[in-house]
Amino acid sequence: MNYNLNDISAHQQKASTLSILRKLMLLIKDERRNLLLALLAILTNSGLNLLNPFIIGYTIDKYVVHKNYHGVLMNAGLLVCMAFIAFGSSYMQTRMMGGVGQRMLFKLRNAVFNKLQELPVAFFNQNKAGDLISRINNDTDKINLFFSQSLMQFIGTIATMIGAGIFLLAINFRLGVATLFPGIMIFIFTKATSKWVKRKNAASLKSTGGLSAEIQESLNNFKVIIAFNRRDYFRKRFEEANEINYVAAKAAGISNNVFMPVYGFFASMGQLIVLTIGIYLISTGRFSIGLLVSYLSYSTNFYNPLRQLAALWTNFQVAMAGSDRISHILNMETNLPVTEDNRQEKIAALLEFRNVHFGYEGGKEILHNINFALEQGKTYALVGPTGGGKTTTASLLARLYDPLSGEVLLNGRDIRTYESGERTKKIGFILQEPFLFTGTVRDNILYGNEKFTGFSKAQLEEVIKNANLKSLLLIFENGLDTLINSGGESISLGQKQLIAFMRAVLRNPDLLILDEATANIDTITEKILQDILNKLPKETTRVIIAHRLNTIKNADEIYFVNAGEVIRAGSFDHAVNMLLQEKRAS
Amino acid sequence: MGNKSGPTGSAKKKGPGISKLLKPYKGMIFLLIFFALVSNGINLVLPKIIAGGIDAFPSHYVLRPLLIKFLSAAIIIFIFTFFQSIIQTNTSERVARDLRTQLAARISTQSYAYIEKANPSKLLTNLTADVDSVKMFISQAIVTIASSLIIIIGACIMLFSINWKLAAAIVVIVPIIGGVFFFVSKKVRPIFLRGREVIDRLNKVINESILGAALIRVINSQQPEYEKFLIANTEAKNLGLSILRLFAWLIPIIVFTASLAGITILALGGHFVILNSMTLGDFAAFNSYLSLLIFPIILIGFMSNVIAQSTASYQRLSTVLELPELKETGTIVDPLQGNIALQNVSVLYGQKPVLKNINFNVESGSATAIIGPTAAGKTQLLYLLTGLIKQNEGSVDFDGRNIDDYNKENFYSHVAFVLQDSIIFNMSIRENIAFSDLVTDESLAKAIATAELKEFIDSLPEGLNTILSERGTNLSGGQKQRIMLARALAVNPKILLLDDFTARVDSNTEIKILNNVRKYYPGITLISVTQKIASVEKFDKVIVLMEGEIVATGKHNELMKTSPEYVQIYNSQQSTNELQPQ
Repeated sequence: MNYNLNDISAHQQKASTLSILRKLMLLIKDERRNLLLALLAILTNSGLNLLNPFIIGYTIDKYVVHKNYHGVLMNAGLLVCMAFIAFGSSYMQTRMMGGVGQRMLFKLRNAVFNKLQELPVAFFNQNKAGDLISRINNDTDKINLFFSQSLMQFIGTIATMIGAGIFLLAINFRLGVATLFPGIMIFIFTKATSKWVKRKNAASLKSTGGLSAEIQESLNNFKVIIAFNRRDYFRKRFEEANEINYVAAKAAGISNNVFMPVYGFFASMGQLIVLTIGIYLISTGRFSIGLLVSYLSYSTNFYNPLRQLAALWTNFQVAMAGSDRISHILNMETNLPVTEDNRQEKIAALLEFRNVHFGYEGGKEILHNINFALEQGKTYALVGPTGGGKTTTASLLARLYDPLSGEVLLNGRDIRTYESGERTKKIGFILQEPFLFTGTVRDNILYGNEKFTGFSKAQLEEVIKNANLKSLLLIFENGLDTLINSGGESISLGQKQLIAFMRAVLRNPDLLILDEATANIDTITEKILQDILNKLPKETTRVIIAHRLNTIKNADEIYFVNAGEVIRAGSFDHAVNMLLQEKRAS
Repeated sequence: MGNKSGPTGSAKKKGPGISKLLKPYKGMIFLLIFFALVSNGINLVLPKIIAGGIDAFPSHYVLRPLLIKFLSAAIIIFIFTFFQSIIQTNTSERVARDLRTQLAARISTQSYAYIEKANPSKLLTNLTADVDSVKMFISQAIVTIASSLIIIIGACIMLFSINWKLAAAIVVIVPIIGGVFFFVSKKVRPIFLRGREVIDRLNKVINESILGAALIRVINSQQPEYEKFLIANTEAKNLGLSILRLFAWLIPIIVFTASLAGITILALGGHFVILNSMTLGDFAAFNSYLSLLIFPIILIGFMSNVIAQSTASYQRLSTVLELPELKETGTIVDPLQGNIALQNVSVLYGQKPVLKNINFNVESGSATAIIGPTAAGKTQLLYLLTGLIKQNEGSVDFDGRNIDDYNKENFYSHVAFVLQDSIIFNMSIRENIAFSDLVTDESLAKAIATAELKEFIDSLPEGLNTILSERGTNLSGGQKQRIMLARALAVNPKILLLDDFTARVDSNTEIKILNNVRKYYPGITLISVTQKIASVEKFDKVIVLMEGEIVATGKHNELMKTSPEYVQIYNSQQSTNELQPQ
């Protein structure tokens, strides 16, 4: 399955825009009360803003011209009350909408992160870490910026404009139409250019993702950069991504700024129309000065917000570009679903491979027609030259991937019918490259193991003693409390493998797979590990992949894996022979 | 930019650090402000034109000059606004790009110890989000502030020129609003800083769950991972809401103050018009200038958000920009022969000693093995020899001279290191192997053949140009190790350091590779950390390392007689030793 986010088909692109809008709507569904309050506040605010010039104009015509000061003071008092109400509604508006925006950002980030957890390993092999981080943190924030800041201004602006437009048309219809005419030009212009603006922003966001990916990779690989004296590599690669980002961001910036001058120009035209036609009407006695003053105010109230709209529309395009990138992730589906299949066979084997074929995405077939069965309680070894398919076979055992054809049966049932919780309790897998999280040794060996949550230190030490792991803890300077920095050098690779080993053993699985899990551990400590393995419950099936012969010496059965074929090797001597003679294909 | 005033001073003021950053771009910024001023200045004139039109309306010949004046003003505004936005974009993006380059340059010269401790997730935030905030300051705040200030000043002047008594009553709103901005900004800055720290944490959690994707699926720990994310995300949300609570007061206060000003105009100005000390046209103009005054004030209100965020971001960036630049001190360009001597070397990791009192010699052309239990310090020893870490005590000499005295390029053309953890770049195989600048086509081919990679590469449809994915996820463990070996051999080194190299390859391939190395790189000095005694029985020297100390040195036969630890290791591999290929 193609999980490459930068390789989305045009058809998928289109579907994503609609679906993301739907998802965003769903996210703010519970905010209905807040949205309503915000809307109320916005409308109140706009209403008051519109009423203001009207009252001022009325006051001028009625009281100032006729020298009625008492009337002026009365209306002034009215305006003061309105100002207080506007104060409250303006505050409400910002609080409500801003709150909606923050909570929506929160939910969106959770949704994307959760989706990542649902997707299989294949997704992470096809995408870069920095790009994913950029999507979760940066692109979601663009949507937030629009929702928390721009949206309420957006609505307020539209409300004000509609109100002003109504007043303009109501006071003098013909003049109103003429005044609003530039607005129509603006609308046409916007519609024509919006798609282009969004495209530029999408390219800019993508280049930001690329920059992020570059930084991420180089910082993680800094050891090699130093050891090969290629500090300039970091600078060079970064420069390339930086330059791409510069060009894309400039293009987006210019496209984003195209609205402002155009809107400004047409807004001035609107004012000009009011002025000239207004004065003409006054000179022919069909209009009053007071009306002209308030008319000018209304047209300002129509076009000033319209100018604000220029900036807001830009933010909208940026937010849409960001939401597209998010939706690409949200639309991905896992290709490892839990299937329904009530077929249950009565077979003796714990796990069986039947006619399994497998190859990675976009590559050739790696495993050809694999057939074997693992019986409960036995120890199996997989040996073979490097690149022959041992880890791939093990990955299929743990359902990190599904075969292209054929079946994998666990306890007589298709492994795909197992819920992941149940399956991962039965099958334990120690990966070739141990991964630890930042925390203590205790955190790591108990990681994901619900059985021991809430255990006190004493209880835990009892459990460790019973699992025969106590001697291993001595290799860590502070025992269980030793601090570990993920990706750091605080402990050696061998120690990491020990932790991964302890972690797997504590889970007590039915089938334990060790993929070169002791490769970097010294042979004396390895003997202790062999002991621990031997003391596991009798029913535990062990699959050991290793290059060291003494690691696999005591296996019940040995399989030889090479060039995608899995062959029974019979005795230990026979296996050694095959190792020496069989040609390595990769 | 020699001496620095330091970020401590900037905590009190609103952004002197950023003004230091902008000095090189003085020209563009002045141009930008100029364009903004002209377009906004002309905007100021518009209400005057309108007032003139209203006051002179009895004679309608005024229409044509009015039209011309207005239209030309509008067109000039359009042109200047357009150019302004182009320069704005250009300048802000240029500053962002240059800032990133500077940051990257500074980071690239740091020691490995710094990078490891400095939290790559924080550096990522620095290079992306923090730079963006500074960029926004330029693209939005500068022009807005400059033009808003001009409009505000200009409008105030106009107001005073029309009627100073009324103007005085109005203009008092400006300092009131200024005070509110200042107060809010001061309170909000620490929250912005914390907000960025939370983003650092979010980056870290996401990064770990990406790197540990296989583990999470094998243990089915998606839920605990989500909970980790939730904690950081919730904190981000709460910080966002507290910033919001502060800023929500800003606009209402501004608008309220402005409304009061408008009401004052109505009441007082109306009074003046009634008393005939002010014309209706002037009254209308007053109203126009007031609305002109309000808009920029509100804009500055929005900008205070941007200013606060960018100041906080720049503070974070300063810590990286002010890192000491590690200078190249080594000068020796003589080729290395391969004689290595360590004397009384001790290395501490934090407080913990990882190597104590290490003394040994390696002769050019010899093969030395380092063997020992897990966490003995073997990898740290190799890091020392390759310059990744520095010793706390003692000396590391190559050919009798201190390791630091060698020119770096010279040093790394002779010393090559194969690490324990596989590090693969998202580039083609060729670029991965020819990672050093010094690799030629011949040395590349020789390295590939030695590492037994030729068949593998030939089997790929795009051969050497096949792009390897980030972290090498489409390769097996042994393939990654062999590529790392080829990378090291491609520089044609005199000294080869192998860290547990054969852990991931089968014995058959292992023999072939070791034979290849002896054949194609004769006279190479080899130092190999290994677990297998069978591989090192023929080595010139074996060093037994335990808990950071050397407990025994010598050839295999001697150690079998003199070192109980060595014998213990040998015995643990005994039963399969005779089956090991020789």
